Amino acid sequence: MAGNPNASPRDIIRVENLVKKFQNLTVLDSISVSFREHEVVSIIGPSGGGKSTFLRCLNLMEQPTSGSIFVDNVNICDKKININKHREKMGMVFQQFNLFNNMNVLKNLTAAPVKLKKMTEEEANERANALLKRVGLPDKIHSYPSELSGGQKQRIAIVRALMMDPEVMLFDEPTSALDPEMIGEVLDVMKELAHVGMTMIVVTHEMRFAREVSTRTLFLSDGHIEEDKPSHELFDHPESPRLISFLQKVL
Amino acid sequence: MPFFKTVSKLITNYNSFFLEGVRNTLIISALAVLIGTMLGALMALARMSNIKPLRWLATAYIEFFRGTPLMVQLMFIFYGLPMIGVTFPDIAFIPDFSRFMAGIVAMSLNSCAYVAEVIRSGIQAVDAGQMEAARCLGLSKKQGMTMVVLPQAIRNILPALGNEFVTVIKESSVVSVIGIADLMYRTNGVKAKTYNTLECLFVAAVLYFIMTFIFSKLVAWTERRMAHGRKS
Repeated sequence: MAGNPNASPRDIIRVENLVKKFQNLTVLDSISVSFREHEVVSIIGPSGGGKSTFLRCLNLMEQPTSGSIFVDNVNICDKKININKHREKMGMVFQQFNLFNNMNVLKNLTAAPVKLKKMTEEEANERANALLKRVGLPDKIHSYPSELSGGQKQRIAIVRALMMDPEVMLFDEPTSALDPEMIGEVLDVMKELAHVGMTMIVVTHEMRFAREVSTRTLFLSDGHIEEDKPSHELFDHPESPRLISFLQKVL
Repeated sequence: MPFFKTVSKLITNYNSFFLEGVRNTLIISALAVLIGTMLGALMALARMSNIKPLRWLATAYIEFFRGTPLMVQLMFIFYGLPMIGVTFPDIAFIPDFSRFMAGIVAMSLNSCAYVAEVIRSGIQAVDAGQMEAARCLGLSKKQGMTMVVLPQAIRNILPALGNEFVTVIKESSVVSVIGIADLMYRTNGVKAKTYNTLECLFVAAVLYFIMTFIFSKLVAWTERRMAHGRKS
């Protein structure tokens, strides 16, 4: 079952022949790729190339049309597994933050872990406080999402995902909905996460983040992974003509 | 003015008739909305269900009851059902119970269809990202619904439900045609006795208006209060 028992560090996610179609439109065309522990992988590419769809397939927010996705060597596309249990291990951060509007920050952070019996309410409160300090927002604990700026919302959305103590964090264009002056504060939190060894998969338009923070970058275009290399190599020596033309446009 | 003289005479002499009518109108409307809301909540769930036949049935029900006149539905239930052997029981200590029952059943079934749409649109107005975020944390669909989506949907649903009650108060006047002693029925009674047609209808209109006005002000007030709370 295991992908490669000698691989070290181990694969957290292994994708095999992933296909996703919307009606007749093939968005992902037989993608196979692995993500190892402690890796920070950026996914770049033109819009409509399937980046977000790919990321959303990883925790089955989109149902793949065919193929397999192994998380800790369990095929989550198998109908018999409990997907909720697997989603607990995979934190997700959205472009639109999606903080729960009916709850204050503390409740946003503690509701799920307490409900899912990951921790007691006291433990959750303690952890929430500690994590909020780490992202510089301890004074916002009783605020409601409507009272926060975009950058603050996104930092709290990251903390909300971290509350579940995930093995891997998925970021779906986390800075795309932010005003330019707020992008930095969110990227800083992500950088810090990368430094402490969190496994991260980031769909992003921030080429500097991809190049400088992520260890590896995938270029996804037309439903294919056109290039998959260590970040510096991909940016310094792009090979495929599509990647070259893409980089010329965005850099 | 003779008009208002007659009106004031009607009110002094027949106030018990009118008040009984108001009471019955309020009872019928309240019961119809109460039962309609409970059934409507279930109907909304069925309407949004993943089980296709259930969804189709609910959609057909809603479309049918919203697309046919309440008068027809009422007649169907009061005159039509007994012909195929379905009757409402009489209860000794409540006069005219079966008649009353037919009215409430018709109004409830009708209200159910409207309430179902109110609830469905209230739930669907909540941003889909809210449920996605809940699911991504490992919460089930049900948990996401009760913890995140419904508390936000209530804000959309409650004011609309209040408006439904206002509508039902007015619509309920049709039950007078099957002889339920609501405000319209009592008005017709006084009219027949006194021949003061215009004055009687004026009294009825004012009474209906007072009921709906008070209630719609109440709705507006709760709406404002809820708007003070947290918005997205």
